[in-house]
Amino acid sequence: MNPHPISRRDFLRRSGVGFGMLGLADLLGSGAHAAPHFAPKAKRVIHFFLNGGPSHVDTFDPKPALEKYAGQPLPQTLLTERKTGAAFPSPFKFQRFGQSGIEVSELFAKTARHIDDIAVIRSMQAQVPNHEPSLMLMNCGDSIQTRPSLGSWLLYGLGSENRNLPGFVAMCPGGQPVKGAENWQSAFLPGAMQGTYVDSQHTAVDRLIENIRSPHATPESQRRQLDLLRRINLAHRSSRLDPRLDARIESFELAFRMQTEAADAFDISREPQHIRELYGSGVHGRQTLIARRLVERGVRIVQLWHGAGQPWDNHEKIEENHRKLSAELDQPVAALLTDLKSRGMLEDTLVIWGGEFGRTPTVEMSGSKSKLGRDHNHYGFSVWMAGGGVKGGTIHGRTDDFGFAAVENPVSVHDLHATILHLMGLDHERLTYRYSGRDFRLTDVEGNVVKEILA
Amino acid sequence: MKLFSQGISISLLGAAALAADVDSIAFFETKIRPLLADRCIECHGEKKQKGGLRLDSRAAWQKGGDSGSPIVPGDVDGSLLIKAVRYAEKELQMPPKKRLAAEEVAALEQWVKIGAPDPREGKLAVANAVDFEAGRKQWAFQPVGNPQPPTPAHDEWSRSEVDRFILERMREAGLRPSAPADRRTLVRRVTFDLTGLPPTSAEVDAFVRDPSPDAFAKVVDRLLASPHYGEHWARHWLDVARYSDTKGYVYAREEKAFVGAWPYRDWVVRAFNDDLPYDRFLLLQIAADQAEAAESPHLAAMGFLTLGRRFLGVTQDIIDDRIDVLMRGTQGLTVGCARCHDHKFDPISIRDYYALYGVFESCAERLVACAPKTADAAFEKELHARETTLREAMAREREAQSARVCAKVTEHLIAQLELEKYPEQTFTQIIGPDDINPVFVRRWQAFLAGAEKRRDPVFAEWHEAAKLPLDARRRVAERYGARFAAVEKKWRELLKAEPSAESLPDASDEAWRRVLFGPESPCEVPDEHLVNNEWFFPQPVVVGLWKLQGEVDRWLVQQPAARAHATILTDRAKPATPRVFKRGNPFTKGEEVPRRFLQVLAGDDAPPFAKGSGRLELAQAIIAPSNPLTARVMVNRVWAQHFGRGLVTTPSDFGRRADPPSHPELLDWLARAFMDEGWSLKKLHRRILLSAAYQQSSLGSADAAALRTAQERDPDNRLLWRANTHRLSFEEMRDSWLAASGELDLRVGGKPAELLAASNTRRTLYALVDRERMPAVMRTFDFANPDLSIPQRNDTIVPQQALFGMNHPFLAGRAKSVAGRLTGPDSERVGRLYSLLYQRAPTAAEMEMALAFVQTGPAPVVQFTQPRAWQYGYGEFDESAARVTGFAPLPHFTGTAWQGGDQWPDKTLGWAQITATGGHPGNDRRHAVVRRWTAPQDGVYSITSKLIHEPAVGDGIRAFISHSRRGLLRSATMHHSSTTLDVEAMTMSAGDTVDFIVDIRDGLNSDQFLWAPRVELATVTGAGGDAARFWDAEKDFAGPASASLDRWQQLAQVLMLANEFTFLD
Repeated sequence: MNPHPISRRDFLRRSGVGFGMLGLADLLGSGAHAAPHFAPKAKRVIHFFLNGGPSHVDTFDPKPALEKYAGQPLPQTLLTERKTGAAFPSPFKFQRFGQSGIEVSELFAKTARHIDDIAVIRSMQAQVPNHEPSLMLMNCGDSIQTRPSLGSWLLYGLGSENRNLPGFVAMCPGGQPVKGAENWQSAFLPGAMQGTYVDSQHTAVDRLIENIRSPHATPESQRRQLDLLRRINLAHRSSRLDPRLDARIESFELAFRMQTEAADAFDISREPQHIRELYGSGVHGRQTLIARRLVERGVRIVQLWHGAGQPWDNHEKIEENHRKLSAELDQPVAALLTDLKSRGMLEDTLVIWGGEFGRTPTVEMSGSKSKLGRDHNHYGFSVWMAGGGVKGGTIHGRTDDFGFAAVENPVSVHDLHATILHLMGLDHERLTYRYSGRDFRLTDVEGNVVKEILA
Repeated sequence: MKLFSQGISISLLGAAALAADVDSIAFFETKIRPLLADRCIECHGEKKQKGGLRLDSRAAWQKGGDSGSPIVPGDVDGSLLIKAVRYAEKELQMPPKKRLAAEEVAALEQWVKIGAPDPREGKLAVANAVDFEAGRKQWAFQPVGNPQPPTPAHDEWSRSEVDRFILERMREAGLRPSAPADRRTLVRRVTFDLTGLPPTSAEVDAFVRDPSPDAFAKVVDRLLASPHYGEHWARHWLDVARYSDTKGYVYAREEKAFVGAWPYRDWVVRAFNDDLPYDRFLLLQIAADQAEAAESPHLAAMGFLTLGRRFLGVTQDIIDDRIDVLMRGTQGLTVGCARCHDHKFDPISIRDYYALYGVFESCAERLVACAPKTADAAFEKELHARETTLREAMAREREAQSARVCAKVTEHLIAQLELEKYPEQTFTQIIGPDDINPVFVRRWQAFLAGAEKRRDPVFAEWHEAAKLPLDARRRVAERYGARFAAVEKKWRELLKAEPSAESLPDASDEAWRRVLFGPESPCEVPDEHLVNNEWFFPQPVVVGLWKLQGEVDRWLVQQPAARAHATILTDRAKPATPRVFKRGNPFTKGEEVPRRFLQVLAGDDAPPFAKGSGRLELAQAIIAPSNPLTARVMVNRVWAQHFGRGLVTTPSDFGRRADPPSHPELLDWLARAFMDEGWSLKKLHRRILLSAAYQQSSLGSADAAALRTAQERDPDNRLLWRANTHRLSFEEMRDSWLAASGELDLRVGGKPAELLAASNTRRTLYALVDRERMPAVMRTFDFANPDLSIPQRNDTIVPQQALFGMNHPFLAGRAKSVAGRLTGPDSERVGRLYSLLYQRAPTAAEMEMALAFVQTGPAPVVQFTQPRAWQYGYGEFDESAARVTGFAPLPHFTGTAWQGGDQWPDKTLGWAQITATGGHPGNDRRHAVVRRWTAPQDGVYSITSKLIHEPAVGDGIRAFISHSRRGLLRSATMHHSSTTLDVEAMTMSAGDTVDFIVDIRDGLNSDQFLWAPRVELATVTGAGGDAARFWDAEKDFAGPASASLDRWQQLAQVLMLANEFTFLD
């Protein structure tokens, strides 16, 4: 026999078939064999995805120079999806927060109280000013090709710590974002590694997770059925060789337990009132609180989308729209940071905030008329991270004086992914999967860890 | 040695290098080497080569990267390296993250000035070119041999040549084959393997009792003749072909469904059933347009190439997908790896990739019928009308667009001076009618390059002006614009006077006119399908044209009478000469390559393709009997499905990194026989299935020691000392459940149906495969991802699969139907159950367990499901009361619609129907359809909805929104129109209802409508639970609450979930 037990990843690569022949623990992603490359700083991720593209110059990247040019063309305007006109100073007030004194706009004033735990990357760059490719890039590391999402890579690399819950949950209230399930696809990784979509506008658990509750059996009668099933399966197993038979026997027991555990995890009425009030009564408060309950139970990554379609895509009336959207999000984000901290979980939970790109510092035009909104901007935008392994109170990189393009320490999406994987204990160059003759990576052939924001 | 090479470098550098003395080397060592190592080598060294450039040896930078060599020794200002570190140009700034200090820049300038002395030896930046000669030595590229089957001594086991190869290898490893499987096991195994369906009990019994020596051969022949053989094996091929009924994500303007998907799927089914020779099977899928007549059903075959994702319309990704599916699918070669650079392992160069790219770049899509006209005159008439409208609009818009470009020659020439403002396809801008469209800018760019090459006198001045400053070039552009405008004016005047004129009388004028008009003109929009020319139009025009294309597509997708259509490729009149995209980037075009087949297979001096795009020649190169891969790859695919694993374990990768075949001679012997027997797949199946190897037991040796030895020596069973257990695929499992319940609809072919619709009892092959909305259950059960060519499915076991079996109404429904087939005393019922599910009798212990389960224990408790927010009924709208009278629920649910009964129209309730998105009123005013919503708690609610009545025929419908206490809230009378029906903030109490009512207007004719209202709870007033905030008629749409299962039904469900059902021995 081979004296060197091969790693799970090597095994997968070699067998080419996938999970069929693996031991039970691996099949269910218990994490027993899937292991980080080095000691991780963070064990789980909560990712606020502000789909549509939040404006960095109205939130985390103040640009007073825009005032000087208000209503006039900037010295240089870059090409974006639509025509934009004159400089458009932020209608929102910025203020310094925390010991670090980082400026944040009034839109995220509650979140800003945690600024000393946050590292703001102000020099993010994507590739094109269009939603679909940028969503794919931010989630899956490639604008066009079918590639596994960040969450699927994390499950592949680390497994989940709870067999009774899906390891990767994508919540979005009222429908799905643009590109739908492609945002959390597993592509050539096994289907079990794709994100489980949850429409968080619902509260009943059977509307949240498919097949989680039986419409035709009580738990007691189902238990009786499963007992019989187990006896029949064990008798069948006795003379046979295939280990998959054991795995499948066990999967029914796990499924049975999942029914109660999932119902419990999604039921925020089990939280004390002061916690529910901390997060707020809106759907974002609820889904953020659910996210905390999920990661607490070992779910590896939860993505919290703002809403169906692309709510942050404010080509028009950005003042009114961004104010409304941030009012929905600011309190839950701040509550999550407070709550994680008080539980001692912030130190190994990575919280990420951002969209697929930012917005132009110039105003969008309809003919010669201003729409009081901003177009897409992939040349420079902000994403922030807090928690596990992140150096709080940090600003990394800089956009130009108007916030159009990153000019100092630009961070590509590949760099961001490399950094996230690094914090999770994975080397982005070693986390590979053989498909179609190639060893694929989340970061393709790119990516540098942004060391400056590591604690 | 070192000095010697130093000498060479100096002589290369010429005069400036005279300074390269010992001092200059010292300068390099102290100032330059550390600087390069610290700030450059990370991205331009051994590990990474950004831009194809390495700076870690002299030879490397001399060779340079994508933009040539960055250092011109002696020429400081002419060296890209210096430009980059000076940070003067926005596009070229190095290092990208942090610029060098001023003194570092100065040091580099000095270094270049003194001739860039560099003593570093080292390899070249880019690995040596592909070594085809060495590559051909790899087993997969060697010609298919003609091995003779070995003759093992004392061989009493072998039944065929196949077995002799296998026995020989087994003996070498000291292993022995297992005993034959019992007959019941065997007939179940082979029936699933060939048809994907379970045998009936009668079929099992017949085989078990058949004493004839060829009993098994007869079973195999019967199954190969079954129409369900083609269905099952088509699905294996469809995995490879990344088959989908829809396009995946497309912009909202475009119809999502493919018109030609199901005809392709049915064509594959028929090809297998007819045993179409495999070489012909491939040829038709690649080039049926050049091998078949118009309207031939074989045109559907080209779906293989055209049913990929749309990739947002980006050409190079669409072509990449086609190259991938073709080359991995038929050749087992990962040619896609050579898109950005030579293949790292296999003898495939980037030139090979672009040689194939050029073939597809020279093709355009076309939607054509692949069946003769139907007898349905109404269908054909409407189709013709829609096609005509589209064609006329396309002609009109092409002309209008060309006119717009002709009128702006100046602007298009000036654009050549600032090309960076006009990005490639991947960067999408919203283009208005007055904007300069990057596509035309690029077209002009290519045209001007051609003009320069052939020294076109019209553009002599333009090219001459390239040396002038920008301002002067702009003025030249303006002069060109004026001259073209004058020529165009002359031409239009001539046409007015002389409509048949073909040219201008003045030869010089005529030369200028030809630039503006004619198929080669850079002002022209190609006369092609919208998928190929949409980028040429401004945004509003594209939207309008897609609407008309959608009218055609939807008519074909939705009409039951529609005849099959296919999206084929056709060769363009003038094939493209491909250029290598360096690093796969279309912005950095490299050398031209001819269109041709892979060099490793075609030979080093093979002539380029000569006919049209070369696609037919490509097909012929693939199916040539001398091609070493085609037969091997397919034989291996078939083997893999029969044995659970291929002789080569990676069926779509026969490259160097794949494990070599476990039985190379057997693979060749099978491939040779396959070709010799006319590429017949049925003969290949027979050859494999009639072997003793296939017919072994999966349990291994009954002798424990022998079993242990086998498990230790060959734990993966690669030498086939036993059969592998087969776990049912998702399709096999669902089909088997339906077969057991007697509900399986075995009709072959036709349009797809929603997988989970309650009315859908067809084989799973016919379930709608929607790239964008794959039912989660399909991915949970490892169904092939339709975005990617899948050689072999994943095989996972996760609790979500168990949850589906335990809780989804589908299996519960089948369990009920199975239980409904049981009659007589309890023991007879159990016996029948085992016969239906496992085609065997229960053992005494099993009988006892089953009886104990159904005869004892608590009675199942009736479940009370939660009250539903929505109800679906009918009634009469009483106009005086403004409320519905006689509301009654619609009694039948089809899985997608509530209606009167299984048939639609129903005898009593007529056309009344409610679906997720709309419905149809009943036949008279007494049968309005009513979608009723009930408020779960006190609060302030708002309603938003859009009502659409599409058909132009008939007189339309009436619609009302009525509240249980307040009466009428909104109403509309609609015909061929749409309207918004919203209700703003309205206080309601728990239990209040809102009815959404539609009835006919005056007559019953084309009254179908779309109306899926959405209710939102704005403020909760009074006490209330943590209820939902939104109710969406479409998303919440649901069938009836299911009742509890009784004990017999529960027992049936258990046995349908058991491992014996799911795994075949």
